[in-house]
Amino acid sequence: MDGNPAMRQLVLCALASAIAAFVPTLATAADTLANPFPNGEAGFIVSKIAYALSKDAKDTGACPDGMTQGNIEIYSESAEGKKHDGESDQDYSRRQVQGFQTLSTAPNGQNLCMNPEAGSPDPHYKVVTGKNIPADGIDLDGQDSHIGGKPAANTCAHDDFRGLNGEKGVDNQFFRLVGCSKSYQSTGQSNTYEIAMYTGEWAILITLKGVKDLKNSPNVEVGIYASADPIQLSPTREALTNATYAIDQDPRFRATTHGRIVNGVLTTDPVDVRFHWVVNSIHLERPLKEARLHMTVAPDGSLEGILAGYTPVEELYDFAYGFRNGKDGAGKPANLRLISGSANGQARVLDHTCNGAYFAMKQLADGDRDPKTGQCTSISTQYRIKAIPAFVVDVVTHSGNETLDKQ
Amino acid sequence: MSNMSGQIRKPSAARNTLGRLAACAVLSMPLMGSVAVAQETSPTEPQSAGGPPEVRRLTESQYRATVADIFGPDMPIVGRFEHGLRAEGLLAVGTSQAGISTFSFEQYDASARGIAAEVVSEKRRDQLVPCKPHAENSFDAACAKQFVEHYGPILFRRPLTGEEIKRYVRTAQAAQQRLGNFYQGLQFALAGMLVSPDFLVRIEQVVPDPKHKGQFRLDPYAKATRLSYFLTNSTPDAELLRAAGAGELDTDAGLAHQADRLIASPHFERAVRAFFEDMLEFDTFNELAKDPVIYPAFNSTVALDAQEQTLRTIVADLVTQPGDYRDLFTTRDTYLTRALGAVYRLPVATRNGWEKSQYPANSGREGILTNISFLAFYSHPGRSSSTLRGKAIRQVFLCQQIPDPPNNVDFSVVQDSSNTKMPTARIRLEAHRTSPACAGCHRLMDPLGLTMENFDGVGTFRAQENGAPIDASGTLDGHEFQGGDGLGQAIHDSPQTPRCLVDKMYRSASGRKATPDERAYVDYLNQTFKADGYRVPDLMRAIAVSRSFYAISMPSVSANTLQHAAVHTSNGDRS
Amino acid sequence: MKKLNRRSVLKGVLGGAGIGVALPFLDMFLNNNGRALAATGQRIPVRFGTWVWGCGFVPERWVPSSTGADYALPPDLEVLAPHKKDIAIFSGYDVKLDGVANKPHITGCLGLRTGIPVPNESVRAPTIDVIIGDAISPGTRFSSIEVSTSGIDRSYSFRAAGSANPSEVSPIKLYQRIFGEGFQDPNAATFTPDPHTMVRQSVLSAVAEDRQRLMRTVGAEDRRRLEEYFTSIRHLEDQLALQLQPPARVENFTKPDAPPTTTMDSEIGNVMVTHKLMAGLLAKALQCNQTKVVNVLLWDTTSNVRRAGSSTTHHTLTHEEPVNPALGYQENVGWFAGQSMVAYKDFLDALAAIPEGDGTLLDNCLIFAHSDCSIAKAHAVEGIPMIVAGRAGGRVRTGFHLAGRADPATRVGLTLQQAMGLQVAKWGVQSMETNRTITELLV
Repeated sequence: MDGNPAMRQLVLCALASAIAAFVPTLATAADTLANPFPNGEAGFIVSKIAYALSKDAKDTGACPDGMTQGNIEIYSESAEGKKHDGESDQDYSRRQVQGFQTLSTAPNGQNLCMNPEAGSPDPHYKVVTGKNIPADGIDLDGQDSHIGGKPAANTCAHDDFRGLNGEKGVDNQFFRLVGCSKSYQSTGQSNTYEIAMYTGEWAILITLKGVKDLKNSPNVEVGIYASADPIQLSPTREALTNATYAIDQDPRFRATTHGRIVNGVLTTDPVDVRFHWVVNSIHLERPLKEARLHMTVAPDGSLEGILAGYTPVEELYDFAYGFRNGKDGAGKPANLRLISGSANGQARVLDHTCNGAYFAMKQLADGDRDPKTGQCTSISTQYRIKAIPAFVVDVVTHSGNETLDKQ
Repeated sequence: MSNMSGQIRKPSAARNTLGRLAACAVLSMPLMGSVAVAQETSPTEPQSAGGPPEVRRLTESQYRATVADIFGPDMPIVGRFEHGLRAEGLLAVGTSQAGISTFSFEQYDASARGIAAEVVSEKRRDQLVPCKPHAENSFDAACAKQFVEHYGPILFRRPLTGEEIKRYVRTAQAAQQRLGNFYQGLQFALAGMLVSPDFLVRIEQVVPDPKHKGQFRLDPYAKATRLSYFLTNSTPDAELLRAAGAGELDTDAGLAHQADRLIASPHFERAVRAFFEDMLEFDTFNELAKDPVIYPAFNSTVALDAQEQTLRTIVADLVTQPGDYRDLFTTRDTYLTRALGAVYRLPVATRNGWEKSQYPANSGREGILTNISFLAFYSHPGRSSSTLRGKAIRQVFLCQQIPDPPNNVDFSVVQDSSNTKMPTARIRLEAHRTSPACAGCHRLMDPLGLTMENFDGVGTFRAQENGAPIDASGTLDGHEFQGGDGLGQAIHDSPQTPRCLVDKMYRSASGRKATPDERAYVDYLNQTFKADGYRVPDLMRAIAVSRSFYAISMPSVSANTLQHAAVHTSNGDRS
Repeated sequence: MKKLNRRSVLKGVLGGAGIGVALPFLDMFLNNNGRALAATGQRIPVRFGTWVWGCGFVPERWVPSSTGADYALPPDLEVLAPHKKDIAIFSGYDVKLDGVANKPHITGCLGLRTGIPVPNESVRAPTIDVIIGDAISPGTRFSSIEVSTSGIDRSYSFRAAGSANPSEVSPIKLYQRIFGEGFQDPNAATFTPDPHTMVRQSVLSAVAEDRQRLMRTVGAEDRRRLEEYFTSIRHLEDQLALQLQPPARVENFTKPDAPPTTTMDSEIGNVMVTHKLMAGLLAKALQCNQTKVVNVLLWDTTSNVRRAGSSTTHHTLTHEEPVNPALGYQENVGWFAGQSMVAYKDFLDALAAIPEGDGTLLDNCLIFAHSDCSIAKAHAVEGIPMIVAGRAGGRVRTGFHLAGRADPATRVGLTLQQAMGLQVAKWGVQSMETNRTITELLV
């Protein structure tokens, strides 16, 4: 019975070319099936994501030189930045803002968040210098690197961390970059951004094909994509399993690679991936070069582990600090005042300086070595993620609210 | 006269059986056993005394359809509608018993004023007001009369008396005088007509029957109204009113012509939808609440989509195709949205809206009984309920009444769905089937409902409950089967299933139960239904063109108790 | 003797001339709307207000753990205990973005107030207070009054994009606007009955003329059902007759004195003082019917208030203050969140302090309090806290906590419009479109 042959065709095509999963219900975690992916295929949506960092600096001694400071603090600690006797709170507050703005301006008059290259390294920007600090993550360059030692091909010399369980060779220069920033401690603001995913601003999809056995599967095809559809939640705001999501149609946000499962751990060959990221309605991108997964497959069919790779430094600065190159909902460049206000505002409340972060990350970069300059242009970055079962389809989808967003 | 199609339709049951896995038991009865065979003599309609003239309130869907058909589909209706009254299992029967409360009347009044204001509004009046006044700030009696004469008969579904016309023209005049504007005068006259009982209630007029002295029959407009609301769920259109006035509905040919015309119209689907919405009791679906921790995928969107999914399937299978009614219980074709996809655990590519889909073979899902609109509806907020499901199967689809449980029942054992000593519902409900006080009724319900235990309280499939395997075997009419698909096949094969539909369809059409005198007529309807391959449009046509449908026997003494329009009673909270 | 009813009493004066007839108060005229009758036998209008506080709440301190009428007040709501029966708490109702970019502190607030999530201040529909005001304010001196109590002129009352109703920030200026030049004593006002109401009466009268004929036509059982119908017509006619009387003469009203000079800035102590003063003035304005709609902005959605001796604003703290590991939330942010409820109690106190009818002004108000987000540091627009206060003259029920289970927040706005007598069946756009009234709230 074909009430609508065209529609049926579309659905069948979509299912044929899509990667879909049929995940039977399991009443309790104790029920284990040999393989929750009956035909070797599975789709997932990332339900938890955060930078893989370390315990707080105060507990690990990662920052013997102190924590990063922003321009308000820097100003307030300077001689002229102290509160005068008899100065009202309001006046002092206004003066602090003035001081902040002065310090946030480069010698050539440009704003330092918009143009960090016009400034210089900032001694108040602290990076992790403590010894034997553990950090979460995996080995990216295949060796236990040291500053004085020979770097792996295409990388720059840097110190590796010990893993949280004592593993050697963890490449996590991003942690080194932010580990002494207050906002990246466990009580801070900067590492809870998954909540933006829960309001539907972006999402990440993973697909597997060719899984013969949960413990060992030599040839698994893995897809890592930006989602075109927002995450679907239960009334108690948890991500729903078995919802359907479409892959972003822009090829820049789609990647496939080869992987394998060995003793229950899925690993993949490096591939460049790219996700969406939104700050204050400024649309940005979160790229990760040579990204690879290191995940365990749980009996309930979910994945947990690490997504790690190298973030290009200029783009890292854009999405984490300066919001340069941000776009609006229609794809045009975002309002410059919005960008500047957001970047400077973020610097003010999270207590860092834009040029401090910028020059520090350039100095700590450990990947994608430019043979001409000898400089590395990307920085090792680790994400800890969890992904739950979902149906992933490859069709064009649209938000019902599209016209509202493109004003 | 009934309509014989003369065509043998191969039952889809055969295809499904062949496609099914060995895990599901195949029925022992022969597959072709109950299928209609063309070469029977066509049944003839017996004489029937009929019932009393009706006074039936318009349902919400009828009110909306009526306003849309008369004034246009985008007329704002701002009033709220209270719950209908359910009697004999149908809101349609309740319309013959419900009154109109003060709240209801206030809401009708608000809707009436809104509609009337829109009709005379500047952007609509050219299209909806049949004349122009000489001057807007004075009273044009001729135009006002034309307005009343145009809308009155359409709204009241009969010609107006001279006195009625005068009365509404006077109303328009009084309003115009007080407010100044002629169109406002028309507006209030129209608002008055829209709250008149002659609009809100279908009040049937009878006239002496010229062929049978001392007896009565429906006047042609009452006939037109019965016919129209039955086949389109809405008011008689201009052509039907004309045919009534010309006496055509008093001839078999004239009546058949109009019935065929209405069945062929796009509004027929509306009537089928309204009937099944009523029969499946969807009016309380939106009050369904599920525990969000146990069933995170359930939300108000799922509740709305679940009803629409079943109704789309019904329309596609019974009207568009049209197919065998019984195949509703075995079909795997369905329609899905993403919200439903998360509950059914099926992919749905379409982000916003509906796509045609199919339950996979081997998924245990076949037929509308395995839809969420049945499984979640007849469950508790935190667990499934084989008793509620069994009861619903009996009452809704087989027309078998189950009495209420006694007062002193202890439900605590059944409620405890995490009991590790009694992991499955089947084990916990053992008491139902062994205790003598319980067994009589529960033997009717539980064996049916327990076959659906592979579907949890929101309708998602599960292989086990609390780690123990689920035994989904059951019996119906002495035949054994397994699982939701087996149940669907058993319902499909039960002779009671089409008989129940005929009963309910006739009740819905007539607004009352069939009287004992009508038994032969109902048998006749059953025979034609079978002969027509159990096609619902054919059944409805058979009713619509039968003489018995319009026959009137005046009541001697009425002993029914008055029931006010009351809030629909809930499903109860028993196991 | 001719039957004495409201109609016969009024009949003589329905010639259309303006009258101010004080009718005798007779028990037999009381129907279900008895509560709406003041001691002088006159009708009391229902007023509407919105009350906005910025930067959300701390859920573990605000959301009651149970729903229904017997819920326990969590720590931040404890201050509202004296008004527990007057308030209805709504948690877990969302602004649905469905792909629209979330402009922090804007999209949530305006999405909730217009039913359409917009990525900036360009609203696509009037805010709920404007919709309701357009229906109930004609004939009133001020169509609405907006105030902002933290020193900045900001408002979330929009007629259209670019057309915001500006706020009064100074208590003295507010006083002068309401009670200064142009203020008329309400007790001396003349009254003209609405001709539309009179026309509706005559229409219903014409419809009811059919009663005799119909009763003859139908059987005995159906006669009883139709009798109910005609009784319903009579009830509506009685309601219309009530509307043809002059509005409430204002008992217990005395013109207030001008407020003292205060500091209008963002220091929270001053904000609380300013807010209390303005609440008192608004209550008086409502009492003597200078307006029927008020909008209060306690502090901006990017909350600009701060504690004495500190220059860090509440909003900055939400982004900057680390989570206190022992508490599990940001401690100072939590303090401000608690203060918002202290202020709300002050507002309700101001309304409840005015006696009106057989209760207080609060009983004849419908106040919609809400924030712009739930968790400020994430700018989350799900679960935005809302409180409805007042009885709307008997049209709403309060005294419970209802969990929204991710239903759109427009359900509350729709219900409030219906409670205010608006003929609206649905509100909102796309996934915020709803036609589902919250029946727990609406009587």
